[in-house]
Amino acid sequence: MTVAFAVPDVLVARAQAGDEAALEALFRAFETPVYNLARRMLRNAEDAEDVLQETFLEVVKSIRFYRGEGYLWGWIRRIAATKALMRIRRDQLRATEPLDEEHGKAGMHVGANIDLERAFERLTDTSRAVVWLHDVEGYTHEEISELMGKSVSFSKSQLARAHARLRGMLGEGAGEGEGAHA
Amino acid sequence: MMHCTMDDLLALRAGEASVWARRHVEDCAACRAELDSLYQRVAQLKALPALRPPRDRWPVVRDTARVERTRRRRTWSRWGLAAAAALVGILLVPQFGKRGELRAELSQAKDQSATLEDQLQNYDVDGRVLTGRMAARVAELEDLIAVVDGDLARWGAIKPQAQDAELVKLWQQRVDLMRQLVNVRVSSARYVGL
Repeated sequence: MTVAFAVPDVLVARAQAGDEAALEALFRAFETPVYNLARRMLRNAEDAEDVLQETFLEVVKSIRFYRGEGYLWGWIRRIAATKALMRIRRDQLRATEPLDEEHGKAGMHVGANIDLERAFERLTDTSRAVVWLHDVEGYTHEEISELMGKSVSFSKSQLARAHARLRGMLGEGAGEGEGAHA
Repeated sequence: MMHCTMDDLLALRAGEASVWARRHVEDCAACRAELDSLYQRVAQLKALPALRPPRDRWPVVRDTARVERTRRRRTWSRWGLAAAAALVGILLVPQFGKRGELRAELSQAKDQSATLEDQLQNYDVDGRVLTGRMAARVAELEDLIAVVDGDLARWGAIKPQAQDAELVKLWQQRVDLMRQLVNVRVSSARYVGL
């Protein structure tokens, strides 16, 4: 999803002064992209709603520190991505799920063509987050590794594994030889 | 025949592929098809429809932000109150010689209040998410604490030497309210699982 609208400086200035109407205008402008980002990264809608709420609480609290470097959406998106990744880490700690183990592994190699959206949802939380941040939001591996507190090679390997999984779930490239496209 | 791995394909897409991979993909139709599939998958991901939040979260954000602003203001006023109380205590120490028991109770209540303030800071450092009900309860408790603080300020200003018992009672009320506030914050922290 591309967010391509600019926010008037005067609106940002009013929000920074604590104007509630301006803060609500920012919320209305960005609630869908923030929720969409969180929902794509997280497994359930309630978590994504919580990330939306946490993100805007942070925006309301910290917008006075926003100095206009880069787009406002970039600033808000980084807050949202950080909140979503914190939630993924917390869930992994609770579930002791290894970072590189695919979710629902037993049902992965069905060989049938399934919808890309469904296939994407069946990736692990970490893989899904990396794919979404890199391929859709345009984050670099360096930025992802910084957000996740991992190495660049971790981000790269997660992306490669995720695409190999997606390819398998979508039934693409059947019959390739050894070492091919895995 | 060896084909490109997914790492190779992703590197090709990023313009960072090895010389071998770049040459191979020119000659190998299967790998070119794989690279096309990769581009298509990414394009399809980008084209997925935007998911919209099922509920309006602005009222909760707004109300929680209002509570936070109020709390911050009151925290500053409490610091002022604490400083005033300390000053009153210094001035009145000689007159309190016969009221040791009450003074001990007063001191204990103040210590407990300070400890609870610290606990509250720990549970509330970054404006954790509250449900609407919790936010309302927090606001109610903070209002009650503000009333007690007002009473404390008034009692400190008039006939301070005669008000030990009343001061102890007020500080104990404050401690009780602070405990309830901390409990709400603890519940909130458990709710979000942090």
